[in-house]
Amino acid sequence: MSTTQPGAGSAIKVALDAAREALRGDVARGAGGRAALEQHADRVDALLRALYAEAGGPERAVAIIALGGYGRRHLCLHSDIDLLLLFDGRIGPSEERFLRAFLHPLWDVGVVVGHQVRELDEFADLETDNPEFLLALLDARLVAGAAGLFERLGAMFHTAATHAYILQSLLALIEERHARFNATLYQLEPDVKEAPGALRDLMAARTIAAMTDPLLLQRGPADPGRLEEAEDFLLRVRSLLHLEAERNQNVLSHELQERTAEVLGYPGAEPRQRVERLMSDYFRHARTVSRMLEWIRRTAPTPVGSNLGLSRDGIRFLDPVQAARTPSSWIAAFQAAIDAGAGVTDEALSCIQQHVARYRPEDFTPEPRDRTAFLRLLKPRPGLYARLSQMHDCGLLGRLFPEFEAVSWRVVRDFYHKYTVDEHTLLTIRNFERLVSTQEPNRERFKTVAAGLPSPELLVLALLLHDVGKWRDDEHALESVRMAAEALDRLQVPFDARDTVLFLIRNHLQMSLVAFRRDTEDPGIVKEFGRLLGTEDRLKMLCLMTLADIEAVSPDTLTPWKEELIWRLYVDTYNDLTQRYADELIERNQAGLLELQLGRPDDLPEAEITRFLEGLPKRYLQLFPREAIYRHVRLARNIGSDEVHVSLEQNDAVWTLSVVTLDKPFLFSNICGVLSSFGMNILRGQALTNPNGLVLDVFQFTDDERFLELNVDAGVQVLHVLQDVVSGCADVTALLRGREQSVLHSRGAPRVVPVVRADNDASERYTIVDIVAGNALGLLYRISRVISRHGCSVELVLISTEGERAIDVFHITKAGVKLTEAEQRALTSDLQSTLEGIL
Amino acid sequence: MKLIKSIVRPNKVDEVKDALAKLNISGMTVTEVRGHGKQKGHTAIYRGKEYNVSLLPKMEVEIVVNDSLADEAIKAIVEAARTGEIGDGRVFVFPVLESYRIRTGEKDA
Repeated sequence: MSTTQPGAGSAIKVALDAAREALRGDVARGAGGRAALEQHADRVDALLRALYAEAGGPERAVAIIALGGYGRRHLCLHSDIDLLLLFDGRIGPSEERFLRAFLHPLWDVGVVVGHQVRELDEFADLETDNPEFLLALLDARLVAGAAGLFERLGAMFHTAATHAYILQSLLALIEERHARFNATLYQLEPDVKEAPGALRDLMAARTIAAMTDPLLLQRGPADPGRLEEAEDFLLRVRSLLHLEAERNQNVLSHELQERTAEVLGYPGAEPRQRVERLMSDYFRHARTVSRMLEWIRRTAPTPVGSNLGLSRDGIRFLDPVQAARTPSSWIAAFQAAIDAGAGVTDEALSCIQQHVARYRPEDFTPEPRDRTAFLRLLKPRPGLYARLSQMHDCGLLGRLFPEFEAVSWRVVRDFYHKYTVDEHTLLTIRNFERLVSTQEPNRERFKTVAAGLPSPELLVLALLLHDVGKWRDDEHALESVRMAAEALDRLQVPFDARDTVLFLIRNHLQMSLVAFRRDTEDPGIVKEFGRLLGTEDRLKMLCLMTLADIEAVSPDTLTPWKEELIWRLYVDTYNDLTQRYADELIERNQAGLLELQLGRPDDLPEAEITRFLEGLPKRYLQLFPREAIYRHVRLARNIGSDEVHVSLEQNDAVWTLSVVTLDKPFLFSNICGVLSSFGMNILRGQALTNPNGLVLDVFQFTDDERFLELNVDAGVQVLHVLQDVVSGCADVTALLRGREQSVLHSRGAPRVVPVVRADNDASERYTIVDIVAGNALGLLYRISRVISRHGCSVELVLISTEGERAIDVFHITKAGVKLTEAEQRALTSDLQSTLEGIL
Repeated sequence: MKLIKSIVRPNKVDEVKDALAKLNISGMTVTEVRGHGKQKGHTAIYRGKEYNVSLLPKMEVEIVVNDSLADEAIKAIVEAARTGEIGDGRVFVFPVLESYRIRTGEKDA
């Protein structure tokens, strides 16, 4: 039942009949082409506006939006009127009343309305179940109502992701539709809307061009005018089909061909001759449309980001004018190129080159996400060197890093270097990039080292800046550090990362020096080198940096002989850092201790810090930043037996759990077991014990099952369980049983062949057990449980993971001393069986 | 003339060069080589796995000197390259029959 005024329906009918009559007149004269249909659409617009005004506004703003063909103003006589009725908020009684007042009169007079009623928020997420609706939305046009609401819809809808999805869907729809017509346009009774070469193909060509590169239509195989002609012809035919059939009929059947040829005025004495001429024209136009669509499908760039498209010649800006105004989008072009395994096109490079001088370094990475994206760009993988070279050639790299510009084309005369400083620098990055994916068997060992780097992009950043100080003729490493520090500050690189990059630049010649010019068979030299590095990560980075740097000097500089020397120094230093560090304990007059005391917060007395640190390995001071050390000291305060003091921090996806407690049997395995029982994936960590039995365990893990994220009091819960397990009130084995039996964590055959090796010589006080195994839930728990079952005490542990490999180094004793040969054999045999899944 | 070929530790090359320079011997050929003598290499362990390092990186320094200078040169090399540990290297001495300068074709005395 209609709720509008009694007179409204008849007024609409009168207006609609008049509009249709006017269109019928045009069509009957053979003039039912674009102009006539646009006029008809305008008349229907006016009618809807009147209806909108009469219906009275609802409480929430509403926009009446024309979609699809009506949106394009190509409204045929019997076409559906496709509308989107969009509300700014929830639809309530007032909005429902409006809908009735607006739609019922249209239904009453027999208009076929294809309508969608939506709330604006529904467009927040990409709707993937109705691609035809998304396609129709591309032609959205405001007919009546709130213009602001319509604009907001546009902003929400026109995103790179939506366009990419629509494009992908459209290409699939074209394939499906063509298949229905056996993929040929030469139909004796063609459907002038759906058939290959007909109106839908024409729209598809325009849509693809609009979403990728509007200029494609100008550059296609046919003159744009011929496409317009084809459209007008097809519309005139379609209009006639609607007029003659008095319904939404789009097939140009044999019967209708005669009538159409006659109305459109084709010459010929016989109807057959007129029809032949009509159809010959049809096929000519359909071929124009078809060729254009095929060409556009082949040539159109695929949208790969905001204002970025991938075409056959690489990544381009879809709108160069917009690109010139937004320097913050330029780095994304190079990232997209690497992702697509392509280059950046010459046009895009020219655009950057032309405008780059207008901008300051900060303009390219104004937001934190831009700076993160730049670091992500530097991840070593195929294409990085080539793209950085393009960035350099178009002036972007030099503008982003004026420090780098200082060594552009810089010639340093010596006996070794074959390239300018800038090219040498970029070649170091190419060498690292190649190493990461090398297939050469003799490079495999370094590739494994590279695979274990947690942040390889920091090494690339260090390589990029390591020689910027060479604009001066004298000692360049320190000048490079000074200049790099400014660049890193500008990029707002986090403190730890900044420290690492500067360390690498400062010491980039040290490993060559020690490997080639020092007696590396002297354990003292290796120890001193290890002290300089402090951590395995820095050793790995410096090792790879050294290789990449030497190899970039000239093609012959890095010989297998030099590689061997570097590798040997790497292995010796790695062993020193992981196996021998326990022999060097923090003493009262330790270097670095004074700084720690001077910077201490007010709540930490000097004596408390000293008491905590004394007896811990010296390495502790290099492993942890100052703030973390103060946190550990606080955790150790007033610790009682069976007590567990814990802190839990999150940094991006990685959580850090610090646990302080007093040593007892099975402690380490219990803590590992608790973490595993919550599904945590332990990535890295250290377990340290001081001579007073104080234990500090620090674990870094990912919360793969999102337990901490999804549960408000999750941190408290983990703490309670830890407390219960450590004090013996709960049994971790029971907690883990369900998980261990779960098919989700079924271990199957290990993909990494486990290695267990015990060594009594490396350390003065401990038996060292090196373990390499496939990373799995509960691995550390299982390993440490075996060790504890053998009556051994876990004194120190280094935990790391590299991809699917877990690398753990345990320092253990039994009754306070190293294990005997027999004890070692029994332990390693049990561990090996456990890791092979036998026990 | 004598050809003196010495196999030394890589880190000792600079000291050998300096010692020879003091005798005004500046022409030499230095090559990266790998091999072993009595030292026979050893086993390196990386992450629990053993690697056999049988051929050790060494440097080969070759010089040609007049007979009168040979003893002094050998002494200088040995003193500069010695650490006293196994793996210090070897010095081999060969007689040189003739020597020609390629640029001019002239025969050295």
